[in-house]
Amino acid sequence: MSTAETRSRVPVWLGAIAPVLLVAALLLVFVSLDPLGGLRPVPPVETVAFERVKLEPGSIEMQIRNDGPDPVTFAQVLVNDAYWTFTIGNETLDRLESTLVRIPYPWDEGLPLNIALVTSSGVTIEHEIEAAAETPQLDGKTLWIYASLGVYIGVIPIAVGLLWFSALKRASKRWLGFFLAFTVGLLTFLLVDTVDEGLELASETGAALNGPSLFAIGALVAVVGLFVLEHTLERRRDKGVAGLMLAYFIAAGIGLHNLGEGLAVGAALAAGEFALGTFLVVGFALHNTTEGLAIVAPLGTEDARPGLWHFVGLGALAGVPTIAGALLGGSVFSPAWATLAFGVAAGAIAQVVWTITRALPAQGRLTTAYGGAGFLVGLVVMYATGLLT
Amino acid sequence: MDRRGFLKRVGLASAAGGAALLNGREAVRAQGRHAMHHGGQGAVGEVDHVRNGFDPYKILTDFDGGTVSKDSSGRTVREYEFLAVAKEIEVVPGVFFPAWTYNGRVPGPTIRATEGDRIRIKFVNATEHKHTIHFHGIHTAGVDGVPGAGEVDSGEEFTYDFIAEPFGTHLYHCHSLPLTQHIHRGLYGAFIVDPKKGRPDANEMVMVMNAFDTNFDGENEVYALNTVGFAYMVRPIKIEKGRLQRAHVINVTEFDPINSIHIHANFFNLFRTGTKLEPDEFTDIISMGQAERHMLEFTYDQPGHFMFHAHQTEFVELGWLSAFEVE
Repeated sequence: MSTAETRSRVPVWLGAIAPVLLVAALLLVFVSLDPLGGLRPVPPVETVAFERVKLEPGSIEMQIRNDGPDPVTFAQVLVNDAYWTFTIGNETLDRLESTLVRIPYPWDEGLPLNIALVTSSGVTIEHEIEAAAETPQLDGKTLWIYASLGVYIGVIPIAVGLLWFSALKRASKRWLGFFLAFTVGLLTFLLVDTVDEGLELASETGAALNGPSLFAIGALVAVVGLFVLEHTLERRRDKGVAGLMLAYFIAAGIGLHNLGEGLAVGAALAAGEFALGTFLVVGFALHNTTEGLAIVAPLGTEDARPGLWHFVGLGALAGVPTIAGALLGGSVFSPAWATLAFGVAAGAIAQVVWTITRALPAQGRLTTAYGGAGFLVGLVVMYATGLLT
Repeated sequence: MDRRGFLKRVGLASAAGGAALLNGREAVRAQGRHAMHHGGQGAVGEVDHVRNGFDPYKILTDFDGGTVSKDSSGRTVREYEFLAVAKEIEVVPGVFFPAWTYNGRVPGPTIRATEGDRIRIKFVNATEHKHTIHFHGIHTAGVDGVPGAGEVDSGEEFTYDFIAEPFGTHLYHCHSLPLTQHIHRGLYGAFIVDPKKGRPDANEMVMVMNAFDTNFDGENEVYALNTVGFAYMVRPIKIEKGRLQRAHVINVTEFDPINSIHIHANFFNLFRTGTKLEPDEFTDIISMGQAERHMLEFTYDQPGHFMFHAHQTEFVELGWLSAFEVE
């Protein structure tokens, strides 16, 4: 440390806060002088995010948010290319402000609806509903449906998948390697899937909220958080990652993915965007059964047989988030929160893939015949069961 | 639906149930506006005609004979001053369109003359683009109002001088390029030439079928008679029972090749382009291509509320819906 610094009489806190104050002052000057005033685009940029659409018989209700840089004034509403009566909470929305639009419209079950908001400058901002259906009421009955849906597509399939444990226990080292590599393949598929869905959702958050950044933040938080957690646990045990711990990490990663999946299902139902088919539930269930296998694969390498409550814990960690997701998606949902959730899931899965790959036994390395085959089969099985849905 | 498509769709839906997070200001704000029309269809609110500077109701019967004098040969001379000005106009309640206008109104002034009259129009261009006035009629090449013959630069002027012929229901419009933009932005108007013999006494009305592409995507968001969508539904046109009505209907719709007019509970005599004294047809609907125009004569013998509108029903729902109130 230099002598000049030690002699400085400026307190540390002031030194820390001074740049903040300085930048605030500079911004204040900038805003008051408005040197870029002449550069503003002449037609204002008018964009709107449709955050929530509720369909009831004879009525369309939309929660909208101005996600552009300029204020927007709403003048008219077009429903399927016809001017229609409406009421609006606040005709003019500043940046990031939101309001409720109600349109009394005799919509038809199952048919598409195109709703366009016409702004005072004549711009039309459209929202497409592919097949109109009544938005389920948020009562005990619907919540029960969401919850049981979560059980059917999340908890039960994963619990069933866990039953593969006894077979794995008796498998040869080569086949154990195969199944661990299978898990890596399966998780890699889920990773790609989660990134794809997450970025898709990110594009719906609107420009102001910057969905892709939300997704990246969620992913990085998960990756860094899980590495820190893993490192702490490793130090405590003073040895490599144990099979059981690995299983918990996999379960956590899959659980986060299923949280996102549950969000998607609940949100779609609540948005009245689609009627859930039995086939879809069957597809989700089959898809998720293989996730159970992925969780127990590392346990096959352990000598000791974990207690039953570990299986309950693993199943719950991976499956129960689906219920939570479905409930959340069905009640409070915004593309921004969902994007963040998908980001966290992607990060968690990526971290787990890394951890398992590092811990693969010699017979399961992806460069070996069994390992390579396991990885590819994992990918293909996920793809194939995905096709079923 | 498959699982992947399903998940994607959720992304598109970007909506779900839940608490509507109204902020205080929204909740307090009154929801004062309501629809004027049947079954919820129609625009909400009313257009401020005073701010627009013209009223579709007055445009109906606002015939401009110009400043009249006689030349040395005894011919009637009608002199006009036209000023091209850019102006924002309200085309349905709350929706503003950056129009180009003749004399601040859309459609421009209705020029009314008798065949053989001399028309002199001093045209001053107060916009930043070039403009013309191109008349549908018979005239010499020099006053055709096209690039190279009567096109007026920003801040310049030109005088169109020609004889009004033939008699009929005609129109004028800007012919500068790009043509679609110059017409669509509002530079057009009615040019009515009466036959020397005259016509039977009637209540005459000018109805310019126009449309506005407010978001400039090549499709119209607003269709109207005389510019303001649904104007004559908000205030139906009052006509006298038993009196002959004569409507000069002119189609200046851009982007759609055809527009039409259909009157309810009645038929009309159709005078194609208004160029004959005897009707060509007796019908209740007539379709017109762009710049096509006809003269319609009809009489309502019963009082009541009678709609009239385009029979391209999508135009109806976007503003081209009107009504007569027969008293």
